[in-house]
Amino acid sequence: MTAVATRPVPGDRLPDLEVGPLSRIQVAYMTVAMRDPNPVHVDDDFARQAGLPGAIAHGTFAVSALGTAVSRHVGVDALRRLQVELTAPVFPGDRLTTEVTVEDVEDAEVGYVVHARLQARNQAGTTVARGRASWALT
Amino acid sequence: MNQSSVAVGHRFPQRQFTVSPSRVEEYVIALGVAPEEGWRAEPGMPVPPGFLMYVSTYGAEALHEAIGLDFRRGVYGGMDVEYLESVRVGDTVTVAPVISGTSTKQGKGGPLTFVELTCEYVLPDGRVAVRERSTTVQTG
Repeated sequence: MTAVATRPVPGDRLPDLEVGPLSRIQVAYMTVAMRDPNPVHVDDDFARQAGLPGAIAHGTFAVSALGTAVSRHVGVDALRRLQVELTAPVFPGDRLTTEVTVEDVEDAEVGYVVHARLQARNQAGTTVARGRASWALT
Repeated sequence: MNQSSVAVGHRFPQRQFTVSPSRVEEYVIALGVAPEEGWRAEPGMPVPPGFLMYVSTYGAEALHEAIGLDFRRGVYGGMDVEYLESVRVGDTVTVAPVISGTSTKQGKGGPLTFVELTCEYVLPDGRVAVRERSTTVQTG
């Protein structure tokens, strides 16, 4: 399992995680994994009726990419909070890159808690998601 | 949005959800990156971040019908998840969704309606393991 031995300081940045380019097969897998009934992820005609240029990937790609950027660095069990706001659609073919920047580190009863700012951008540099995460380490 | 069907505080019947290896495996295949080095889709492994959400665990149909979500006008706005206790692959949790908030604001193209669903995932011993707040946004 992954773990970080040194206590971070504000401004530190976790290694970026790159996800994609997302294939239609990956989007189909997400539909199945989530049992998501929304045709907007698999049906271009439906998506166009919704005013989109074509089928869109699930918001969970950005959520999961950001959560995974943290968990790969500190371990899933350290994660205490994951808050993500989706700000732009993600499309098949997009490549997402995460940014996790430490904002604050506070002492806990045992160990410390890290609070970080999250951002995910697509290959054009557009922010598709942003939020915050907290994790606890001893 | 069918406002008449939305009632803040409305609680949906509890359901059981077992985190099966195949479901989390599909989720990890979709993302293309494992949640940790050495992670495997096997009982006892931690559940990947973001997997526990109401669509995956409770089923979207009943909840979306209650909040009047039209897929042509609605989007998933985001989530705020607290991880209070560890949930492992193979665990069974009780899922208890509630409509926890609604609001309307004026967007560029007209009114936007926000509905917040809070879903608690409770372990067999009664401890709340995960508290998820998800927001859907709908135009018109």
